[in-house]
Amino acid sequence: MKTPTLPPTTTLLRDARTWLLQGRLPITTAIALLLATLFANLVVADNFLTAFNIRSIFANVIPLAAVAVGQTVIVLGRGIDLSIGVIATLSSVVTVSVVEPWGLPAALLAGLATGAACGLVNGLLVAIVRLQPIVATFATSFVWAGLALYVLPPGTAAAPRMPDVIVLGYRDTLLGIPNAAWLLLLIGLSWLVLKRTRLLRHVYAVGGDEQAAFATGVRVARVQVLTYVIGGAYAAIGSFAMLANSGSADALAGGGLTLASIAALVIGGTRLSGGAGGAGGTIIGVLVLQLLTSLLVALRPPTDVRQLIDGLLVILALALAGLWSGRRRGR
Amino acid sequence: MRSFRQRTTRWLGLGLALALVLAACGNGEEADTADPDPDTDTTEEADPDEDEDETEDAAPDAGPFTIGVSNGFTASEWRTQMIANLEEAVAEYQDQGLIDELIIENDDVDEAGQIEQIRNLVNAGVDAIIINPNSPDALNAAFDEAAAEGVLIYAVDQAVTSESVTNVVIDQGQWAQISAEWLADQVGEGAEIVMVNGIAGHPANEARVGGAMSVFEDANIEVLANTNADWSQAEGQSVMQELLSQYGDQIDGVWAQDGVAEGVLRALIDADRLDLVTTGEARAGYLRLWEENDVDTIGVINPPGVAVTALRVALMELQGEQIDESQLTDGNTLLLPLPDSFTNATLDEALERAEGEPDGYSLDVMLSEDEVAQFFQ
Repeated sequence: MKTPTLPPTTTLLRDARTWLLQGRLPITTAIALLLATLFANLVVADNFLTAFNIRSIFANVIPLAAVAVGQTVIVLGRGIDLSIGVIATLSSVVTVSVVEPWGLPAALLAGLATGAACGLVNGLLVAIVRLQPIVATFATSFVWAGLALYVLPPGTAAAPRMPDVIVLGYRDTLLGIPNAAWLLLLIGLSWLVLKRTRLLRHVYAVGGDEQAAFATGVRVARVQVLTYVIGGAYAAIGSFAMLANSGSADALAGGGLTLASIAALVIGGTRLSGGAGGAGGTIIGVLVLQLLTSLLVALRPPTDVRQLIDGLLVILALALAGLWSGRRRGR
Repeated sequence: MRSFRQRTTRWLGLGLALALVLAACGNGEEADTADPDPDTDTTEEADPDEDEDETEDAAPDAGPFTIGVSNGFTASEWRTQMIANLEEAVAEYQDQGLIDELIIENDDVDEAGQIEQIRNLVNAGVDAIIINPNSPDALNAAFDEAAAEGVLIYAVDQAVTSESVTNVVIDQGQWAQISAEWLADQVGEGAEIVMVNGIAGHPANEARVGGAMSVFEDANIEVLANTNADWSQAEGQSVMQELLSQYGDQIDGVWAQDGVAEGVLRALIDADRLDLVTTGEARAGYLRLWEENDVDTIGVINPPGVAVTALRVALMELQGEQIDESQLTDGNTLLLPLPDSFTNATLDEALERAEGEPDGYSLDVMLSEDEVAQFFQ
């Protein structure tokens, strides 16, 4: 694979090879995984292509998609946020708690501000106080969870709810396409816009080589703090989808999104050590995870072993996605 | 750098386009698959295929039907018994050819997770869903969605507010009042007590706490602490230990829900505080502990068999029978008769019914087909 000189072969083949070796192997693998899981679903689940199922898949996928895009930005800058799922929880309980008195737009802004503020705290702890990202964000996850319980204690008799228009709209379709699918498109587009900013170029630089980035004048700490703020904001967007999906918030929900977001970005080809990858692959990774889940549901193993099989499938997907990066680094 | 970005952008675009195409083509089938009204589903005449395993085209009036079960909390023996009851009853109906498959979604989930359970069941093509709901109203949108696909939905154990659902439940508020009134009589006016409940936010828990509190208010009894023990005996025991150390000198009694009462009683026995009056549950372990320690208490039945009763209601509706509107409370709730409860006078009978059963076994009641038929026109 590292033969320096190529035998003269057709330019087409050589181009393809160079193209793949320039870092496209991970994303190609992710797309192959997506097609494979899609195909498996089409074969196994005879109800796969029903409108109901397609709508369900997109409705289920949005919270994780938003959170995972946020996590990707953080990981690209050589960080990681183990509190990101709980940030979504906190943001959702804040939003739903104020939606009645303040109205919807203000409530969404409050949720967004909550997410960004949590991200800011994480960012400061990591970039300024210089705590290890894993330790710092694991610790703050308990703070966010505690705050969520404080804002909306579970079992409040008349728990606040989102307006019907949000809940029903989330399941509706526009131009024959589920609204949740449009939302996924928007999340993807937001990444494309973000990616063109100077900030994201700096994020890639910091993630690739912190020292070099610093030497070329990138304000490393500022960039890292901002990745956490952006991550928190995306978590808030994910929380809006959680609210739209169930109509109400649960101060105990959302924690599972954290690890799923990391799995999704790894499947999508983002390097955990930062600097390489992107949220486009992450969205594909999220779809792979969701399709694995629906495959599992269609196969109908007893529910008590489902979690086990689910875990094994995710490990398999991670292993396949990691094949190339592992080989390159192991050289 | 620029071309790298362009190419990745193209891949991303491709992925999203694929997703949208998929979404659109799935949606195109909506007109064929969605059937808003199950009762008018008479498409079987157009179908030449008469294989038994061809469930989706089976005649709606004769079965065989596919039944889905959604349970969002597994860490209690009560739920295990509920599922086992259902499996047993379904096996009988399978022999009769009335049910072809039972699909069970059974996991510890939050509300979003239970919404996913409901969607999975609809997607698996069930004719009816029997659900023990984690929330009285947070699942409503998912219920409407399922009903629009022609699925009949029955909430058991705990009632929900959605009009797309028929609740088949005992009145949990009244159920709680039985033991609350008994306790109020024992401790007398002006007494102080503590409460050990299930899971805050679960509909049954809220109804029970509400029912019991109204009794205590009327009897002028002060509730010093309202705690939750997750319907777990182990948790009930440790919560009671904490309550004893904090309020032990003040209180006259404990109101404990079923599912935690055995743990509470154990804590009282360990601390040698049987002078405190406690309420209990008609479960094998509690009854035996009650007899061994010669306690004066009350055991109320909360029957896991309610799910089988709901299954029988579902099968009758699937076969085209109509529920008698006058039997419904609040428009969508079938209230089942409250089972008898036990005190020292009737303890022997209860022990007999619990004989040979594991500690977690609840004395059970499920309505027969004939009894269920009385709810119908």
